[in-house]
Amino acid sequence: MMKHESIETNAALLIVLTLAAISIGGLVEIVPLFYIEGTVEDVKNADGKDAVRPYTGLEQLGRDIYTREGCYTCHSQMIRPFRDEALRYGHYSLAAESQYDHPFQWGSMRRGPDLARVGGKYSSAWHTKHLIAPRSVVPESIMPNYPWLQDTDLDISDLTAKMKTLKKVGVPYSLTKIEYDANVEQFGEDVAKKLDINMSEKNLMKDAKLGNFDGNPDKLSEMDALVAYLQILGTMIDFSKHDEAEFIKFR
Amino acid sequence: MADIDKVTKQKVKHEVIKDPLTGAETTGHVWDDTLMEFNNPIPTWWLWAFYGTIVFTIAYFIMYPSWPTGLAEKGYLKGTAELTYKADIIKDGKRIVGGGEEITTHWNTRALLAHEMQNDPNELKRQEMVKTVAATPLASVIKDPQQSQFVLAYGKGIFGDYCAACHQAGGQGVIGHYPNLIDDAWLWGADSADIELTIRKGRKGNMPAHKASMTDAEIAQTANYVLSLSGESVDSAAAEHGKKLFNTKGCSGCHMPTGIGMKALGSANLTDKIWTQADVPAAVDAKAKVAAVKTIIANGFKREMPAWESRLSNDEIKVLVAYLKLLSAN
Amino acid sequence: MASTATSPIVSPNEQYNYDIVKKFALMAIFWGFAGMTAGTYIASELAWPFLNFDIAQITFGRLRPLHTSGVIFGFGGNALFATSYYIVQRTCQTRLWGTGFANFTFWGWNLAITLAGIGYMMGITGGREYAEPEWYVDLIILVVWVVYFLVYVMTLLRRNQPHIYVANWFFVSFILAVALLHIFNNLAVPVSFFGTKSYSLFSGAQDAMVQWWYGHNAVGFFLTAAFLGMMYYFVPKQAGRPVYSYRLSIIHFWALSFMYMWVGTHHLHWTAIPDWTSSLAAAFSIMLLMPSWGGMINGIMTLSGAWDKLRSDPIMMFLITSLSFYGMSTFEGPMMALKSVNALSHYTDWTVGHVHSGALGWVAMVTFGSFYHMIPRIWNTTIYSVKMIYIHFFLMTIGILLYITALWVSGIGQGLMLRAFDEYGNLAYSFIETVAFMHGPLVARAIAGMFIVTGMLFMIYNVWMTIAHAKRNPVEKLASATAKA
Ligand code: HEC
Ligand code: HEC
Ligand code: HEC
Ligand code: HEM
Ligand code: HEM
Ligand SMILES: [Ca+2]
Ligand SMILES: [Ca+2]
Ligand SMILES: [Cu+2]
Repeated sequence: MMKHESIETNAALLIVLTLAAISIGGLVEIVPLFYIEGTVEDVKNADGKDAVRPYTGLEQLGRDIYTREGCYTCHSQMIRPFRDEALRYGHYSLAAESQYDHPFQWGSMRRGPDLARVGGKYSSAWHTKHLIAPRSVVPESIMPNYPWLQDTDLDISDLTAKMKTLKKVGVPYSLTKIEYDANVEQFGEDVAKKLDINMSEKNLMKDAKLGNFDGNPDKLSEMDALVAYLQILGTMIDFSKHDEAEFIKFR
Repeated sequence: MADIDKVTKQKVKHEVIKDPLTGAETTGHVWDDTLMEFNNPIPTWWLWAFYGTIVFTIAYFIMYPSWPTGLAEKGYLKGTAELTYKADIIKDGKRIVGGGEEITTHWNTRALLAHEMQNDPNELKRQEMVKTVAATPLASVIKDPQQSQFVLAYGKGIFGDYCAACHQAGGQGVIGHYPNLIDDAWLWGADSADIELTIRKGRKGNMPAHKASMTDAEIAQTANYVLSLSGESVDSAAAEHGKKLFNTKGCSGCHMPTGIGMKALGSANLTDKIWTQADVPAAVDAKAKVAAVKTIIANGFKREMPAWESRLSNDEIKVLVAYLKLLSAN
Repeated sequence: MASTATSPIVSPNEQYNYDIVKKFALMAIFWGFAGMTAGTYIASELAWPFLNFDIAQITFGRLRPLHTSGVIFGFGGNALFATSYYIVQRTCQTRLWGTGFANFTFWGWNLAITLAGIGYMMGITGGREYAEPEWYVDLIILVVWVVYFLVYVMTLLRRNQPHIYVANWFFVSFILAVALLHIFNNLAVPVSFFGTKSYSLFSGAQDAMVQWWYGHNAVGFFLTAAFLGMMYYFVPKQAGRPVYSYRLSIIHFWALSFMYMWVGTHHLHWTAIPDWTSSLAAAFSIMLLMPSWGGMINGIMTLSGAWDKLRSDPIMMFLITSLSFYGMSTFEGPMMALKSVNALSHYTDWTVGHVHSGALGWVAMVTFGSFYHMIPRIWNTTIYSVKMIYIHFFLMTIGILLYITALWVSGIGQGLMLRAFDEYGNLAYSFIETVAFMHGPLVARAIAGMFIVTGMLFMIYNVWMTIAHAKRNPVEKLASATAKA
């Protein structure tokens, strides 16, 4: 024990040994996650294309609003493999489903229900009404009102810049023909079109018009983007077409 | 304070000092005039407890998936604990849960759920009851005390988490937005098959706007007529005009000439004193009632009931139908 | 208190850089008050949602990070800068190296928190807990941290003591770990050089892993290791007794430093993260119990032979109560890290209660105790009112006990309700029923916050008067400067 003398009388040694002590845990737990295959499941549709796709421009802008408002402080997006959660929220979340999430929004608190599969659960009209005044539909709710989402125009000026940045961190949006073709290969043509940065503004306008998420087709509001995002959550994989054993094998 | 003064006064750097109070000795290091440390041994109970946690850990690592063993595929220790579950089979693009071969795998959180869903007695009971209720005619379900008790219990939770956001906790809906489900009046049909279809596939109600095709006066007249259909006292002259307009402006096409509605379109019955859109019950006087109905005729509305077939099995939807029927019967 | 005749001839103000300690201490009190007021406000928003007032900037989702950053980095951070600078000088018996650099850490750190806080209210956030500051603030923090390390190490190197005191081991470990965590967790690509938005370099499961490796160790090193450093100086000083066991210090220091970094995944049990990482975290969390208690034992047992101080000295009451809460939360933590317990506690108020028995019971209490010891000394005076320390102590203790009991009820209650099945295997409760159930406990928690903030008002007044007193009596100050060390 007295050998500790040499460490506590030598600042450099103390620093080096401490660094060593605090580095190992992270190295062992984090590094393999980038390499061990199956950490993120490979989920394919019947046609052999990837089931999970990156967000469209509109959805991604909605996601940015989701983080901006701090929805993650009340809502998780991670259904755990439990009986009660299966009944209440649906199939447990796969890692594959958040593989394009920069940052992840799994959350750590459920002040409100999990949102991992809220997509398609309610109508867009409901979401709009609920977000503007949650207690108008759920009297016991403690969620804040977000009326400004409906009133504020969606800022799309940095849409392409954002998609390009996401491309840098690994989201397969396409800029070149080669990248586009690769996306056709990986996701199919319909999806590949949505991932084309060159078309992003046009696509966004079209998606918003078609979806009419905020109930006002003449205005492109932040509500449009946020609801478009909420409506896609958890809907990309059709679990009725997959054997449970397929997902269990990854663990 | 007295004791420490004694100690510090004797203090000589790097000399071990014995504490007069406890008899413990210091290490001889002194900082900031008075700061010292005793060389007390580590408490034995502490040490043993620490060893205990290490033993626990080793056992834990032996049983459960733990250390990464390399960077390659599935490179980690799987552990000795095992779980057994039945795989599903996918037939014609549909999944039959637990219909496949039995698989034994190392313990993991996903297999644990599969195992529980296939073996937990409480869960099996639920699945069993869902199947039974779905296979029993509605009338018999309602008569059977156990089945109807199950239906109410099932409905409470699922309706609360899936439906109450719109139709409200008691199912009474919100006039102007979400229909009342407990008044036993059904826009889209009262048969259990109709209701089942509503829940499975969802519905999109569409009452077109008429402000472009009708003048305000015409709309007011029509509104008077619509109100008269359910026995409201109205301006009879206006209602007389309204009746003509009702048949010429297309209303009767959807609401039927008699105004009883049409379940294929989900168009409202205008004769039953039940209002889903125009908040007539809340109107204070005749004028307000006309105004409420006018708004609907002028602006129309679209609304959507989501489809649940991707979330709920057909059997579960049948139980929900029974639940709604039970609610509206009471 | 323990004044001796062996003091140096120069006044401590010249021998040591107290100016920087004073600045950081005052800012710690400011952020503590602001952060806890924000905490009480968001607690009230959950109890009475109209308090969101439809104002974007103050809705719960935007204010919550303001609370967490305000208390952890504002209050905790400034308190750690203050006490670490104080302790390193006194235990090395040398003046702080690099006055300019030290001042830079003061301005840089507080600028970073201010910018981050304003940002949250404007909706600028990284969206990952405790790492919410956006990239430009992260860069400021990084520079400040490197300078902090430099100042600290240079001071250590100039020590007039062969041995580095145990408090400083903890501070060194804390500074190194936070640097490592901050750098790797905040790897992100800005959308544009002139914009605020950036996207995390990692995504999904890996992002979650990196974030909670960081998140846990924000707890482990920022809120624990560093505060243990604080404890290791102020408890023996205030007690006037040597630290209980040198050997225990060694083993628990190395065990903590090594093992903390393994347990981040206990925040991700049952999620889409591979099970092997989860098991490592659960097991290492269990192994952390005894090393954590090592700190508690070393602190509390330091009082052996002077137990009477627990009754007569309110500062000691703060310090020892903080150690008890530390022991309590580090027992609760490993239990919650077990997968089966976490299945219930995760996503519920039980976690938030656990957080605050650590954050209020341990972090805030030990800071207050230490400040009541340190502030009169750096201003070279005596505390204005001992009675007010008592009042603060009792308000704080009542507040904390109410806070964590309320959230045990709320958290365990919600956890049980959500997984309750009836006799047929149906869900017994809908989610919204649990929201309604939690109203009562959430009201109690908001009231608890009011107790705690009121306690802080007593502290602020007391400190204010103490400083004012010190300034009003410069003569007395000079006289005592030579008598006291
Ligand atoms: C103060 C906590 C809080 C915040 C912040 C919050 N919510 Fe909620 N949320 C709730 C609660 C409680 C419920 C359950 C009651 C209800 O439906 O309103 C809920 C319900 C929901 C639901 C319905 C989920 C379901 O399955 O029934 C959605 C969707 C939702 N919130 C989205 C959001 C979005 C998007 C944001 C951010 C813009 C947000 N929430 C912010 C507390 C919050
Ligand atoms: C997003 C809101 C929403 C949710 C959630 C919702 N509904 Fe509906 N529901 C509606 C709307 C809107 C209508 C009316 C549709 C129309 O008339 O066009 C409706 C209509 C119905 C009808 C037909 C009523 C009639 O008079 O014919 C039934 C039955 C029904 N819902 C049952 C359910 C059940 C069961 C659930 C839950 C599993 C549910 N709803 C969830 C919005 C919702
Ligand atoms: C294309 C079909 C269609 C036509 C044409 C139509 N309606 Fe409707 N109407 C509906 C539907 C469908 C609903 C119910 C919508 C729902 O429940 O979602 C409805 C609802 C209403 C209601 C609300 C009833 C209530 O319970 O609150 C009124 C009033 C009404 N219609 C009057 C009229 C009048 C007057 C006209 C002609 C000027 C007319 N409608 C033409 C389809 C139609
Ligand atoms: C008056 C005292 C305080 C009150 C009333 C208070 C209140 C709150 C509230 C309401 C939340 C949000 C919980 C939720 O999401 O539901 C919270 C979170 C948090 N607070 Fe405090 N707080 C106080 C003091 C502190 C202090 C002193 C610290 C740290 C030193 C602290 C650290 C945290 C942390 C880390 C969280 C996040 C918890 C989590 O994500 O699980 N709090 N606090
Ligand atoms: C050995 C010691 C400890 C262990 C093993 C431990 C373990 C845990 C566990 C298992 C959780 C719950 C994670 C979840 O379900 O999401 C948690 C949350 C938390 N703990 Fe501890 N804990 C310890 C000590 C402490 C102390 C002393 C503090 C504070 C000073 C603290 C602060 C927190 C915070 C802030 C969170 C919330 C994180 C979040 O979700 O935002 N912990 N801890
Ligand atoms: Ca949290
Ligand atoms: Ca009707
Ligand atoms: Cu942790």
